[in-house]
Amino acid sequence: MNQLEVVDLSVRLGERTLLDRVTLRVAPGEFVALIGPNGAGKTTLLKAALGLRRPTSGSVRVAGESVEGLDSRARAARIAWLPQHIRAEEPISSLESVAAARYRFSESHADSRRAAERALARVGATQYAERRVTDLSGGERQRVAFACLVAQESDILLFDEPANHLDPAQQLDVYRLLGELWREERSVLCINHDVNLLHQVGDAARVRVVGLRAGRLEFDARFDAPALPEHIGNLFGVEMESVQGSDQRFIMPRSRRSP
Amino acid sequence: MRWRASLIVVGCVVFLLAAVLVGPQLEGAQGQFIVWQLRVPRVLVGMLVGATLALVGAVFQALFQNPLATSDTVGTTAGATVGALFALALDSSRTVQGLPLVTVCAFAGALAGSLLVASFASSRTAHSSDVLLAGIAVTLATSALASGIQYIADSRALFAATQWSLGQLPQVGYRGVLLLAPLCALSCALLLLLTRSLQAFALGEELAHSQGVNVPRLRLFALALGSLGVASCVAWCGPIAFVGLVVPHLVRRLLGGSYRVLLPMSLCVGAALLVTCDAFARLIVPGRELPVGIVTAALGAPTLVFLVARGRR
Repeated sequence: MNQLEVVDLSVRLGERTLLDRVTLRVAPGEFVALIGPNGAGKTTLLKAALGLRRPTSGSVRVAGESVEGLDSRARAARIAWLPQHIRAEEPISSLESVAAARYRFSESHADSRRAAERALARVGATQYAERRVTDLSGGERQRVAFACLVAQESDILLFDEPANHLDPAQQLDVYRLLGELWREERSVLCINHDVNLLHQVGDAARVRVVGLRAGRLEFDARFDAPALPEHIGNLFGVEMESVQGSDQRFIMPRSRRSP
Repeated sequence: MRWRASLIVVGCVVFLLAAVLVGPQLEGAQGQFIVWQLRVPRVLVGMLVGATLALVGAVFQALFQNPLATSDTVGTTAGATVGALFALALDSSRTVQGLPLVTVCAFAGALAGSLLVASFASSRTAHSSDVLLAGIAVTLATSALASGIQYIADSRALFAATQWSLGQLPQVGYRGVLLLAPLCALSCALLLLLTRSLQAFALGEELAHSQGVNVPRLRLFALALGSLGVASCVAWCGPIAFVGLVVPHLVRRLLGGSYRVLLPMSLCVGAALLVTCDAFARLIVPGRELPVGIVTAALGAPTLVFLVARGRR
């Protein structure tokens, strides 16, 4: 059975088509990286998978059941996400906000807090457990949201550009952690802007890379496929170059294609 | 943090007791009567109203992720005003089942106003900001209706309407307390049960959805429960400004934003604040009582500015 199954999904907003008959399956234990230019519909796809955006047509099924028909807590047990932007208006402590991510569990507040402490330790954010989320920097807040995702303990994890606004060291950390979570028999669907970071998840050859442009799926290839640089080049309209490093292949943009 | 919270609770109790005792020295049978039949029930009404307004304010701010949201912004107060005006224009002395017609109509109006907004809020696709906009639209529409009623009403009704709109704690005796208490208690108790889902709202509505909160249902519950409590308060007291807005911000600054602290403490501080303001209103002009709404507005506005200015630093 497919863990996440998006079939013929279209999302239209007035005249604009955000997604155009997209079909994508993420099998149990699979890692799919979703790439594409800005405005391609990547975030819309994640939101539709979460039931946050209602499809104009087509269906989203999570572990065999329609995401719209699932009870909220049951859905949260199966699928979770790390949004790109995290709002923080309320001066609540990091620990309390991670404890709140345990909403789907029927447990005492003390248990939630213990789980939150473990999650914060796992993402390396123990030092700001007691600080208020409103006082954190963008990168720190991102890490707290990552701890929320860990604390939620869902089977399918969606990430919306998890390395956004992070420094290089943090980017590597985030992708390494993503790989760890993946190897705990979870499925991952991750929006990504720099495919080279996928080396960090370990066993990158098993990663699938899917390209989305203007609401349509353009390609679906394995990370180690020889044609991947060509696919990515076509997707963004640039010439890509492969550079062989000591043990891995890097894919770099070289020049813009003339229109 | 814990000792600070305890200190605030003790402070609230002291203020509540003081509010019963302040005033002209009273002795003998008449003094007994004034304290036990007039002041104590009035303090009790003040506690119920202050606690409800402050808690509902805190809940609405959390729900709409907007520091300015209160029961005034979701159509409750505006609906009550239209209801009260309608009753005053009709006949201010009439009663229904022993209750003043003004109170009954204000209650009905408040519920009608909130119901309009709540029906919108329960839609799956509506965002919190849309709900807030719907609340403002309802408020504007009802104030147009209120102006219409004022235009055709006579001057006596207009004077009564102005009096009502200032907001004051009425002398309703223990019967009023008994009518108000169950509705306020029900509303507050059930709202406190929503603490966990509101906490998940702190990092945004969409994240809360993905964490398993049924957002439309939570919004509907909180709006309905909050409006029920506020409608019963406004029906008796008229709109009392700033309590629902300032108290949660005050508590947030003093104790931080965990809703497990913010909600119950808003309840306590709201009760103490309104009762203290009312005692102040009894004393400030010798021989006359000011409507407490004037005092809360006069104290609330600068407090809010002060809190915001301090928070920015």
